[in-house]
Amino acid sequence: MNGIDAKFAELKKKGEKALIVYFTAGLPSPEKTVDIVKKAEKAGADIVELGIPFSDPIADGPVIQEASFRALELGINTDKVFGICAVLKNSVAIPYLLMTYYNPVYRYGLLKFAKKCAGTGVAGIIIPDLPWEESEEARESLKKYGIALIDFLTPFTPVKRAEKILKDAGGFVYLVTYAGVTGRQAAMPDKTLKALKKFRKMTDVPVSAGFGISTPEQVKKIRSSVDGVIVGSFLVKKIIDGKIEELWETIKNLKKELE
Amino acid sequence: MGKKLPDKQGKYGEFGGIFAPETLMPPLDELEKKYGVISRQKSFKKEFSYLLSEYAGRPTSLYLAENLSRAAGCRVYLKREDLAFTGAHKINNTLGQVLLAARMGKKRIIAETGAGQHGVAAATASALFKMKCCVYMGEVDCERQKLNVYRMKLLGSEVIPVKSGSKTLKDAINEAMRDWIANFEDTHYVIGSVVGPHPYPEIVRDFQSVIGRETKRQVLQKEKRLPDYLIACVGGGSNSIGLFYPFYKDSKVRFIGVEAGGEGVNTDKHSATLIKGKKGVLHGTFSYVLQDKYGQIMPTHSVSAGLDYPGVGPEHSFYKETGRAEYVSADDRDALQSFHLLSEIEGIIPALESAHAVGWLIKNKKRFKKTDVVIVCLSGRGDKDVAEVASIENAL
Repeated sequence: MNGIDAKFAELKKKGEKALIVYFTAGLPSPEKTVDIVKKAEKAGADIVELGIPFSDPIADGPVIQEASFRALELGINTDKVFGICAVLKNSVAIPYLLMTYYNPVYRYGLLKFAKKCAGTGVAGIIIPDLPWEESEEARESLKKYGIALIDFLTPFTPVKRAEKILKDAGGFVYLVTYAGVTGRQAAMPDKTLKALKKFRKMTDVPVSAGFGISTPEQVKKIRSSVDGVIVGSFLVKKIIDGKIEELWETIKNLKKELE
Repeated sequence: MGKKLPDKQGKYGEFGGIFAPETLMPPLDELEKKYGVISRQKSFKKEFSYLLSEYAGRPTSLYLAENLSRAAGCRVYLKREDLAFTGAHKINNTLGQVLLAARMGKKRIIAETGAGQHGVAAATASALFKMKCCVYMGEVDCERQKLNVYRMKLLGSEVIPVKSGSKTLKDAINEAMRDWIANFEDTHYVIGSVVGPHPYPEIVRDFQSVIGRETKRQVLQKEKRLPDYLIACVGGGSNSIGLFYPFYKDSKVRFIGVEAGGEGVNTDKHSATLIKGKKGVLHGTFSYVLQDKYGQIMPTHSVSAGLDYPGVGPEHSFYKETGRAEYVSADDRDALQSFHLLSEIEGIIPALESAHAVGWLIKNKKRFKKTDVVIVCLSGRGDKDVAEVASIENAL
C-alpha cells in the first residue's frame, strides 16, 4: 500500500482530516529542510509536499516564486532534492511527496525520476502543468514504481472531465479552491464548497483542498467538505522571512481544526 | 504531408499539446471550440479582412530589392511587413485575436511583450474595440524600450512591469498566464507568437498566414513561378510560420528559419533554441527549449529583444524534426551589419529581428544561384531599434 493511502486510511479510522504542508526544498538549506520536515511531523502535519524549484513556476504566486528563485540561486537541483528525500526516508514516518513542473521531470527522464522517487521514499508527485490529457506516459512510469501521480480538479472542471480524471486518480485529488495562482488569501467561495461536495461523491480517492488556505477559520469552514487541506505559501513565507520557529505553532493550530 | 496540423490533441507530430494548469483547461477548451466556430463565420472573415486592408494597410508589398539582390547574388524579394500598421506583422495577429475575443464576449485583453511591438499591436487593437488592455512587460525591457511603453499608455493600455525572474519576455509570459488563470472568465489572453498551449500556436499561425498567402499570389504574378527559398527570422516564430505555412505543401520551396546567434551559438549568450535546445515544456507547449540538464530554463541573449526567448513554436520543432525547414543562426554582428546595409543600399531600416534574416542571407550568399528567387520576410521596421543600436555602437 502506498504511504499516502495508508495515511488517509489511518486518519479516516481516527475520524481526522489530513493536514498537508508544502515547503520549497532546500530553503534555506537542505539540512534545514530535513529539520523542518521532522519538526512539522511532530507539530501534527500528516503529509509533506516538497517543491523542486523551477525557473518558471506559472501556477505559483509571489511567495513560492520567490522561494523557488532563492532555492535555485542556492544551487538546489533535482538530485539535491532527492538527497534530502534520502535522508527523510530514515528520519520521518509521514509520507512525503514532490511537487514540481513537468519540464524538470521530463528532462530528468520519466522512468529515472520514478525510480529515484522509489529509492528515496517519495510517495507521490504533483505536477501542476501536466493535465490529464498529457499524463499517460508519466503516470505509467510512476506506476511501475508504486508512486502516485496526484491529479487536480478545480471548481470550474466540468463533471465529464472530472469523471475521466477521477478514473485514473490515486493518492489524493488536489482540489484548487479558486481560479488563480497559489498564495492568494481568500474567503472560501460557495462554488468551491459545492465542487468539493460534488467531486467527493464521485470518487473513493480522498480529496484535499489547497491554494490560499492559511487560517484555522478557513480550515474550520471546509473541514466537513474535505479529506485534507493543503497549506503552502503561508508557511513558506515564514521561512523566507526567517521566522521558521513560528511554523510549529501554526501547524499545531491548523491541525487542531482537523482532528 | 497530407495530414492536418495540428491534430485533435493540438499536436504537430510529437510537439505542441497542452501543458497547462487544470484551471486553464476549460478556458482553453472554450477558446478552441469558439475559435473553430467563429473563425469560419462569413461575417468574421469579412470583418477581419476589412480590418487588415483598410485599417492595417494590407496587402503589404512584395518588393524586388535590386540593390540587395546584387549584394546577395540572387533575386531577393522583401515581404514588407514593416509597412503594416504599427510597424510590424504583429498587428495581423492582434486584430484577429481581439476581434475573436470581442465575439466571444470577453471584456478585457491581456498580452505579454518583449520589445513592445506585440504590446503596441495589442494595445492598438484593444483601443479600436474599446477593450480594456493590460500588457505585461519585463522591467528590463521597459527600460530598453521606453518609447513603446509610452505608446501603449497613449493607446489607453496599462503596462505592468514584471519584476520576477530574468525580468524579460519569458517572465512577462509567466505573469500574463498567471493573470489569465485568475481572470479567464472575462479576459482573453492575446499571445504574440506561435507558442503557448493549444490552440494558441494554431490561432496565431492562421492569423499570420496572410503573410504567406499574399506572398504566394504576389510572387506568382511577378515571377510566374514559386520561389526557391523563403527566409525569415525565428524567435517564437510567428512571422516565419506566417510566411512558410501557405507553402507547406509546395515541397520544392525551401524554408530557412534564422535564429538569434547572439554572441555565438557556442557561447552561453544566444537564443538559438532549435539549434541548441533540447525537447521539453515551456509555457504550455512541448517543443525545443533552451534548458540546463535539470530542465531549468536558461537565460538567453540577443541584440534583438523580439528574438530573445528560450522557447520556440511547436510547429517549427516539427518542421525541424521532419526536415521541412532548415534552421540556422545569425549572430548579433551579422544583424547589426545588415541593419546598416539595408538602410544604406535600399533605404529601408529593418527591425533588428528581421535584420537577422537579411544578415544570414548575405553571409551565406554562396549557397544561392543568380536565378534563385529568394523571399525574405522583413517582419518589422527598425525605428524602434535606432536608439538601441546607436547606444551599442557608441559603446564600442
